[in-house]
Amino acid sequence: MLNIENLKVTIGDSEILRGLSLSVKAGEVHAIMGPNGSGKSTLASVIAGHEDYVVTDGTVRFKGADLLELEPEERAREGIFLGFQYPVEIPGVNNAYLLKAALNAKREHHGLEEIDAFEFLKLAREKMAVLGMDPKFLNRGVNEGFSGGEKKRNEILQMAMLEPDLAILDETDSGLDIDALKAVAEGVNALRAPDRAIILVTHYQRLLDYIEPDYVHVLSEGRIARSGDKTLALELEEKGYEWVREAANA
Amino acid sequence: MSGAVSKIELAASFPTLRDEDWKYTDLSRPIAIAQQWLDSGSNEQPPDADLIDSIKAAADAAWIVIANGELLEASSTGLQEAGIEVSLLSSDEPAIDVPLANLNTQFRTGGIRIRVIEDRLDQRPIGLLVIDSAAGAPVMSQARVDIELDERAAARFIEYHVSSGDDEHYSNSLIRLNLAADASVEYLRFQDRALHHSQTARLNVRLERGSRLTHGGIDLGGRLSRNDLKIDIAGPDAVATFNGLYVAGTGQHIDNHTRVDHRVGPAVSDQEYRGILSGRSRAVWNGKAIVHRGADGTDAQQANHNLLLSERSEIDAKPELEIYADEVKCAHGTTVGQLDERALFYLRCRGLDESRAKRVLTRAFAATIVERAPIAELHELIGERVEQRLRELGDAS
Ligand SMILES: Nc1ncnc2c1ncn2[C@@H]1O[C@H](COP(=O)(O)OP(=O)(O)O)[C@@H](O)[C@H]1O
Ligand SMILES: [Mg+2]
Repeated sequence: MLNIENLKVTIGDSEILRGLSLSVKAGEVHAIMGPNGSGKSTLASVIAGHEDYVVTDGTVRFKGADLLELEPEERAREGIFLGFQYPVEIPGVNNAYLLKAALNAKREHHGLEEIDAFEFLKLAREKMAVLGMDPKFLNRGVNEGFSGGEKKRNEILQMAMLEPDLAILDETDSGLDIDALKAVAEGVNALRAPDRAIILVTHYQRLLDYIEPDYVHVLSEGRIARSGDKTLALELEEKGYEWVREAANA
Repeated sequence: MSGAVSKIELAASFPTLRDEDWKYTDLSRPIAIAQQWLDSGSNEQPPDADLIDSIKAAADAAWIVIANGELLEASSTGLQEAGIEVSLLSSDEPAIDVPLANLNTQFRTGGIRIRVIEDRLDQRPIGLLVIDSAAGAPVMSQARVDIELDERAAARFIEYHVSSGDDEHYSNSLIRLNLAADASVEYLRFQDRALHHSQTARLNVRLERGSRLTHGGIDLGGRLSRNDLKIDIAGPDAVATFNGLYVAGTGQHIDNHTRVDHRVGPAVSDQEYRGILSGRSRAVWNGKAIVHRGADGTDAQQANHNLLLSERSEIDAKPELEIYADEVKCAHGTTVGQLDERALFYLRCRGLDESRAKRVLTRAFAATIVERAPIAELHELIGERVEQRLRELGDAS
């Protein structure tokens, strides 16, 4: 589904990703771990299409096509979803409006009719119930005045509504209490399917207690320094990131 | 009346760019209109009945229609409203000694007085429909209203400005609003004039002890538009909240001057104005708050935010605070900028294309003020007019 080869990315004068390769197949859940500043959000932003990040080398292919050619909105409609590490507050834009606009943009792209208002509400309420979100959140400004946990749940709500082929969740677990973490995990697990892939970006092992990944990768100095199964996350927890860096440089 | 006034004398009663309060707003066009109007001296223009009807249909209010400065009784539905008394304002009222208010006093031919006796907040608003027209010759008009609220009386008001006609028009309105102790007013001013017409408008408010004003001012129309909102806080525990929105396109100049005099404390004034400027347009915001000696415990907040959609648009924003009292809480902030890049990326990541995302954010910027404005039953209409205007201006291009 997603194929990244030798990706090099700079922002301003600094090279953040230095030849990163990663392959994600349909049905898989990958966890990308790594210390703060190792480039995890950079990778997520490049996949989503952020223009500030300049790709200087390498390729990114999504469902066989060159992803880097597409605008962010085209990537979204093609089935990529980025759950933001820092969801943006947008006062004056209604949460329900955004959900519906996002859903319809995707539907239109795939030649489907706009979702009927009644059906939309029903679907949104259903998904919110799973996430333990009050339906009142539909009528608030996007993330406006939401707590950290509410913002993250709202990202998962959007994901649940949009049913992406590839979801990248950037530190969706950070700042969550245990209930919120479980709710978010439930939302993600509900999305797991043979035709979908999920990339969890995190720097704690905690989330992986609730969402079991097929692969764990450690990002260090702009590359995947180590890959393994879920036991790698436990090992990391025990030995710390220094261990990976030393092992990679050895 | 106008009889003996020469064109030169008339011009001299306008402020000039040399006046500190007027340095960004050039009145030479209104002066020219006023001088041409002197030749005919007539405001006898047929009122635009369709326009009146469409506004009356859009909002259920006790309408008082003021056409080219004079009460249009036949179209007014609010003259016999419960809880208020409407009468003609006598011609020998004391002058308000500021430029343009003087002009109004000198040239007005009509004038209305409204007294609110009861708390009628839960009833339909009182609508002042200030409608002007100019066909055949340039016209100057002077709408004039005095509003008094008795103690504990309360009411909602709409001041709705529209105009029509191919000729040039200049409206110079003067409204006074006095709130006795514990009175309360929700006031929405909506200026939607023809784009080739000009207006200056003054609202002078006096707030006695425990009284409360919530004001929303929205300016979409007019070639030149200048609003002076002056609030005198004359009693403790008064609260004045006022927010404004202006949307300007090429050829438009919109100037909002607010002035709050905190004469006693504790009391609150809180204002936020927002502007969207596109094409070759210009806006001015000047918010002055004076906390007089002894007005301890004053809380005065000012904010002005501007969205510049074009490099050729221009804003002059200036907050002014003068504090002569103790224990005051005052803050001001102004911003001038483009759309939030982070929000733009966020929306695009949800599948909205760039132009749509920009439109959504521009509307959101305006919607915040519309939603906060009083008279909720007009929000939809105003929202639609803002939308229409933004579309005419080519959106967030
Ligand atoms: N907009 C930016 N401008 C300059 N440097 C940036 C920007 N965004 C990220 N960086 C830098 O890139 C590096 C990687 O950041 P990031 O991808 O956010 O790491 P992570 O998500 O792993 O914590 C950091 O050193 C950070 O300071
Ligand atoms: Mg990060």
